[in-house]
Order: sequence, then structure tokens, then C-alpha cells
Amino acid sequence: MRVLVWRAAVLLGALVIWEVAARPLNPILYVAPSRLPAALMRMLSVKDLPPLPEHLWLTSKEVAAAYLLAVAAGLWFGFLLGLRRTLGRIYEPLLAALYAIPSVVWYPSLMLFFGLGPASKIAFGLLLGFFPIVLSVLAGIRQVPPLLVTVAVSMGARPGAVFRKVMLPAMASTMVGGLRSGLALSVVGVLVGEILGARSGIGYVINYAYGLLMTGEYVVLVVLIAAAVLALDGAGALLEARVRRWAG
Amino acid sequence: MSRVTVLGCQLVSIVVLLLAWEGAVRVGLADPLFIPKPSAVAAALGTSAGDVLPRLADTVLKTLLGYGGAVLLGVTAGLLLGSRPRLHEVAMPYVVALYGVPKVLVLPWIALILGIGLPTAVLSAGLFALFPIVLMVAAGTRDVDPTLIMVARSMGATRSAIARKVLLPAVLPSVLAGLRIGLIFALLGVLLAEMFAGNRGMGFHLQRLAMAFKAPELFAATAIVSILSVTVVLSLEHVNRRLGRWR
Repeated sequence: MRVLVWRAAVLLGALVIWEVAARPLNPILYVAPSRLPAALMRMLSVKDLPPLPEHLWLTSKEVAAAYLLAVAAGLWFGFLLGLRRTLGRIYEPLLAALYAIPSVVWYPSLMLFFGLGPASKIAFGLLLGFFPIVLSVLAGIRQVPPLLVTVAVSMGARPGAVFRKVMLPAMASTMVGGLRSGLALSVVGVLVGEILGARSGIGYVINYAYGLLMTGEYVVLVVLIAAAVLALDGAGALLEARVRRWAG
Repeated sequence: MSRVTVLGCQLVSIVVLLLAWEGAVRVGLADPLFIPKPSAVAAALGTSAGDVLPRLADTVLKTLLGYGGAVLLGVTAGLLLGSRPRLHEVAMPYVVALYGVPKVLVLPWIALILGIGLPTAVLSAGLFALFPIVLMVAAGTRDVDPTLIMVARSMGATRSAIARKVLLPAVLPSVLAGLRIGLIFALLGVLLAEMFAGNRGMGFHLQRLAMAFKAPELFAATAIVSILSVTVVLSLEHVNRRLGRWR
């Protein structure tokens, strides 16, 4: 309980510092929190911004496409390399090396190939989401005790049953962790793509507001998107906790 | 399978991939305007090296500046958070939340305040690198076995001896892991800032090559940055393993 009070105090303190620091400064560059509600109302009522729901919907579709592709590719490669030891020994180090590259260097090439439309954003979200998923599947498979698999097989379990009853519970919590980071990174990928250059999507609206020096609206957008991202990740965390309980 | 065989298979796979790629472009399966031949990329690597290296140096300098700041602040904050349970309990949710928020959202504001030069890129690098370092160091510090410290103290070790002989070796692996991840994130932060609002550096260069449809040069520049970061990360891992032996 006292911890909660302290946490609230920290949040309040941060807001007060923000307010006090922003007040005397140039209001175009520094937006005090007390000005945010008015900016939100302006954003919802006045037509000085592109229609928000439309762009939000497009971004959500991009994220969904990127994440689904990342899950499919990540699971496929993960199980391929994890279950075939030889392939894994050869190609896992190459994957790990690719993961060490700051992902954003790929974006200009993707933009060149896919253009400024949604395709390049989906491709970048896919690329970012793919790595944590494939690496978590590989790590998960390594956690499966080989003895359990041997015992199950020797007792006559079919491959499908071994997979469902032995492997999946042993690797579930690691894998779900990877799926969760993959989702966060797919969102980041789409947002980065949109902010670096797009004609639609929520990142475009951000650039639009900031480009016209509508900083109040810009800050509102940033706060709302950050909250949405955290809520999405929070839902992922709840799901992860459930899976962990199931896997024991 | 021996290590040499694995390495051989890796090399063969890469060569086969490059040859298949070259062949695919030559027979017209891929448009060289978007996907250049590997041979064209290699040629561009040679001709554009003089153009790329100064920009790369510019980007590396910004990365190191931002990274240095993030390391100082991040390791200090991580040690504090990890060693004080009350502080950890109160502040950690905020640190995790800040870690989770896409940093790219505040990039426009940073660029608005600091302009399109070095300060924006350095701050962006620091912002990207800070939170992973804090989280890793805090987690590592929290996981130090308290009995180790108790035993050392009951055997009469001084505070500084405990810090040097017990805490440092125990915390070191997570600090190094944080530093390694932080470096990639710092580079990412600089490249992103340069792409978004820059007029120098590799990020700007990459973006401009893409806009100008100079695919061979773009792929060559991408390859140079990639090779640089893979080399740095692999050598840091090597150092890490040696330190592991020291412990």
C-alpha cells in the first residue's frame, strides 16, 4: 500500500516538475501538461489534423500483418533450426550475428524495395518481430530435457503427443516471452517506418502535427500512443503469466 | 560435427546464397534497380569507400558520446536500483514502462529543440542505450547472493574488499551484457536520428542513397555498417568469455 502511495507521488512529482519547467519556456517548443486537455479537445473537434481513426486503423492493420508474418516466420525457422541439430549448429550463429546489427540500417533498403506505402512498414515490423521469436523458440527447445523426450518415446508416445505433452510445456514460458517481445518490436518497426517517411498511418499524423509546430497535439498523440503500446504489452504480460502457470 | 566443418558449411551457405542472388538478377528474376547484383555491390564497396568512411567516423563519434553518457548514468542507476529494495519497488515500474515506450516517438521533439546536428543524435543514442543498461545492471545487482556478502563480512572483509572481491565479480556479467546491448542501441539511436533529422553521418547517407535509387551504393553502405557492428559485438562477446574465466 505504501509502495503505491510512493509510486503515485513519483508520478505526481514528475508532472509538477514538467509543468514548472515548461511554463516559463517557449510554449511552441515546450508543452506543459496543463495544456494537454485543451490540445486533446482541439484534436478531436477541429479539423486541423488528418482524420485520426482512419490512420489509426491503417497502423493497426500494418502491425497485425507484420506481427502475424513475424510469428509464422519465427516459429517456422525456430522449429526447423531447433529440431534439426545440424542445421541449427550451422545457421543459429548466423542468425545471432544478424541480430547484432542495429535493425534500422535495413530500413532504407526496404523503403527502396517496397516504396513509401504500408508494405515497407510491414516488412520492417516483420523483420524486427522475427528475431526475438526465432531466438526464443531456439532457446526454448534447448530447455527441453532430452531424457523426458527419450522416456516418452520409449513408452510409445507418438511424435505429436511428445510435442504437445513434453516439449511444449517445457519451452512455453521462454517462447511466450519471445512472442511478447516480438509484438512490441513489430509495433516499434511499424512506427519507425511511418515516422521516417509515410503518407498515412499514425506516424504520419505525428510528423504532420510536429511539422506544422502543433506541439500540443503532437504531445497528446505521443502520450496516447505510448499508453496504447504499454497497454498492449501489459495484455501480453498477463497472457505470459497465464502460460507460465499452465506450464508450471 | 567439428568447429571447422560448421564454419565451412556457414561459408559455403553464404557463397551459395550470393551466387544464387547474382544468378537471379542476371536472368531477370529480380530487378537490379531494387536488388543489385552482389558483384555490383562489391564494385560499389570499392568506389564508395572514400565517401562512406568519413560519414561512418562521424556516426561512430556520436554513438560513443551518447553511449558514454548512457553507461555512466545507466550503470549508476542500475546499481542503485538493484541494491536498494525499497527504491526498486517504487521506481522499477516506471523504468520498465519507459523502456517499453518506443523512443522514436520523442525523436521529432528532440530534433525540434536541438536541431539537426550532433546534439540530437547524441541524445537519441543516450536515450536508446540508457534503459536496457539500467534494467540489466539492476537485475544483475539484485541477483547477487546476499549470503556471499554476509559470509565475507563475517570473515572480517572491509567494505572496499567486499565491493572489489565479491560484488564486482558477481555483478560484472550483467553489467557487460548491458554494455553490449547498450552499444547496439546507441548506434541504432544515432542512425535513426540521422535518418529522421540529419545532414551528415551514415543514417543520412543511407536514407539519401535510397531516395536516389542508388541500390548498389545503398547495399554497400548497409553492409559496411552491418560488418562493423557484428565485429564489435563478437569481439565484446570474446572479451566477456575471457572475463568469465577470470571470475
